[in-house]
Amino acid sequence: MAGPGRQEASGRRPLDGIRVLDFTHVLAGPHATRILGDLGADVVKISSERRRSLTNDPDHPYFLTWNRSKRALALDLTHEDARKVCRRLCEKADVIIENFSVGVMERWDVGYESVRASNPSVIYLSMPGMGRDGPWAGFVTFAPTIHALSGLTYLTGVPGRHDIGIGFSYNDHQAGLHAVVAVLAALEARRGTGVGQMIELAQFELGVNLLGPALLDYFVNGRSAEPTGNRLPYDDAAPHNCYPCAGEDRWVAIAVMNDEQWQALQRVMGKPGWAIDERYHSATGRSGNALALDAHMAEWTSEMAAERVQALCQAAGVPAGVVQTGVDLTEHDAQMAHREFFRKTDTEHANAGALPIDRLPLRFSRTPTDYYTAPALNGDDNAAVLQEWLGMDEAEVRDGETSGAFR
Amino acid sequence: MATAASQAAEQPEGALHGVRVVDLADERGIYGTKLLADLGADVIRVEPPGGDPLRGRGPFKDDVPGPTNSLWHAFFASNRRFATVDVTSVAGREQLGRLIGRADVVVDSGMLAEAQIDVDELIERQPSLVVVSVSSFGATGPWRDYLAPDLVAGALGGVSATTGDVDTPPLKLFGELNFMMSGSYVAIAALAALRHVRESGEGQVVEASVHEALASCLEHVLMWYWHSDSIRGATANVLPRRGSLHWSGAYQVMQAKGGSIMVTPTPDFQKQLAWLVEEGVQEDLLDEKYSDPENVVELIQRTMDVLRQWVAKQEVEPFFFAAQARHAPYGWVMPPERVAENPQLEARDWWVDYELGGTSVRGPGPPYRFSETPWSMRRPYGAPGGDTEAVLAEIGWDD
Repeated sequence: MAGPGRQEASGRRPLDGIRVLDFTHVLAGPHATRILGDLGADVVKISSERRRSLTNDPDHPYFLTWNRSKRALALDLTHEDARKVCRRLCEKADVIIENFSVGVMERWDVGYESVRASNPSVIYLSMPGMGRDGPWAGFVTFAPTIHALSGLTYLTGVPGRHDIGIGFSYNDHQAGLHAVVAVLAALEARRGTGVGQMIELAQFELGVNLLGPALLDYFVNGRSAEPTGNRLPYDDAAPHNCYPCAGEDRWVAIAVMNDEQWQALQRVMGKPGWAIDERYHSATGRSGNALALDAHMAEWTSEMAAERVQALCQAAGVPAGVVQTGVDLTEHDAQMAHREFFRKTDTEHANAGALPIDRLPLRFSRTPTDYYTAPALNGDDNAAVLQEWLGMDEAEVRDGETSGAFR
Repeated sequence: MATAASQAAEQPEGALHGVRVVDLADERGIYGTKLLADLGADVIRVEPPGGDPLRGRGPFKDDVPGPTNSLWHAFFASNRRFATVDVTSVAGREQLGRLIGRADVVVDSGMLAEAQIDVDELIERQPSLVVVSVSSFGATGPWRDYLAPDLVAGALGGVSATTGDVDTPPLKLFGELNFMMSGSYVAIAALAALRHVRESGEGQVVEASVHEALASCLEHVLMWYWHSDSIRGATANVLPRRGSLHWSGAYQVMQAKGGSIMVTPTPDFQKQLAWLVEEGVQEDLLDEKYSDPENVVELIQRTMDVLRQWVAKQEVEPFFFAAQARHAPYGWVMPPERVAENPQLEARDWWVDYELGGTSVRGPGPPYRFSETPWSMRRPYGAPGGDTEAVLAEIGWDD
């Protein structure tokens, strides 16, 4: 059913024809299915009025941000009729993604084993927090929990402090991206054989993996890493920090990676006397005296606009960039403007109209992904999805809506 | 412990078995080619004479730099074959051309241009080829030639502004976490384009921009900018960095006895309140004003205050397990040495062996587990150009 203002994608997209059933919520799963939808897959998100709260509420800004490019089918899985339909949908799916607590999908009789029995080609991806077995399998986790347990919180911070960590749900995004990689790899593996499989993405294991070199350092050299602020933990590079600039809480990052860039930076700064100090001639010397060096650098930057430092440095071949906020990215970033990274959805959200979005950060030369539907409200696509996937007619759909099964 | 070779012998083929990848990626894309290699693709990493510059990245085995001592490189260049090709020479260009001629996917971050290979001509000659081109800002635009190592990429991409505390500068994420995001997108680009090849025979170029990749993974940042007027408690369209305190105000690292712990009253405020009441430390949280939805922001703030005072008196280890026994998603802040001994990872047999210079060491295992085509560490970590001879023989190069 075409909603108000709905138009169709004009060209082919890389995942045209792939059917995805989406049982995910909050961030990790929804980011994964958002990308699959952006790439052209038919992503059907299962939701229900019963579960409408916080980030499951289709009017919540968080929901709006992570649930574009999907269709919405309302199924109240406490209803036997809804569970029956759900099982039939699972038979038609190429891909099923879920991030419920361990055991929930089984309770609805749509766990991997029962789905596989009727749909052996299904690719079924679960995203438990700690994994489906093991002594901590029952632990409840959100991204901040995973960051803490995996070492990500301990290591992102300044020396001597272990209470800062990453300021957003980094591991959820990575879990989403890895889920997409895994699904696409399983589609490639299925080619020819027609055999699907189960993929378990434990968000904790993913998070630990992301600290690979530090963990090898521990096992090989016996050294447990500590936070290093803006310095590189294992390599000599200085100046290498964020420096204060003119204005309120304005900063610029400068990263001098070699001697040539250091020479260039000195020229940009007008060859100040302090810089000829022989302590600063080599990367090792600069790193070893980074505190003193940073003080000089901050003195130079603090009178200038961050944008000016960036422009002067980059013109001279010195890596530097404004510490950009959401306002900088959307309003002042000339590169983002040139690339038209921010745009509006091609369809309208029932209550919020066309929504501002960030594009998929990939540009396909032959199959451009330039069509983005707005997030749908619970049940918006009931008739279309049930007709296309299961051949149900309008009357059957309305009956289910009346009984509450499809709500 | 099983060696990499014997692990491989017992394993079925990986999901990407038979997919041929030429890996010309620098640090901005190398995690992407790692993901493909670890899933079974045949990934040939092309090194200049003198070796891959990324072999110079620390940490090093025994802290001694050397061509096969970089633990950074051993991790990011896992499961590769290594071929030395001098793309500045005529012969080297021909070799690279032939390698690409047999490939399904090329991941490039500048080496094609160095070899004077035009990407559009390449695709014209080999229409089913996928080229993933990863760069800091994309091929066009005013910043396309800007230099952006990790620190600068994170600053411009919006990551640093939201990481750090009120009394610290904005902070970089530890290690390589920014480029691991662009790397993940590189793998998505390669596999999505490959799927299109399988359907239609048509290859293409996919551009991945680090800058855009980072900006797309900022959780609340763009939401705050676009929707702050409908977020309770938001007073502006930017939320300044504030340490570990989550945008919702309901997750924060707190100091306990013997360590730090991430504490949250979510997802069930009532259960958290009941626990506080049980302990007799609920203070004024039962006050009726907090049951008014209009006061939810105040309720969250007050709950976090009460929690902070209570948590400070708890021994971190038993407290963490007590919380999880009540299904409260608290997280004990673990240093790497404790992560290395985590009983959950042990019980699930997560760690794998890396073969480094003839010795077998423990290292990070799979980010995901496939039931039929498992992720595996199949190859020992190789020396610079260690597979050149075999690779040149495969492309019929006989001098």
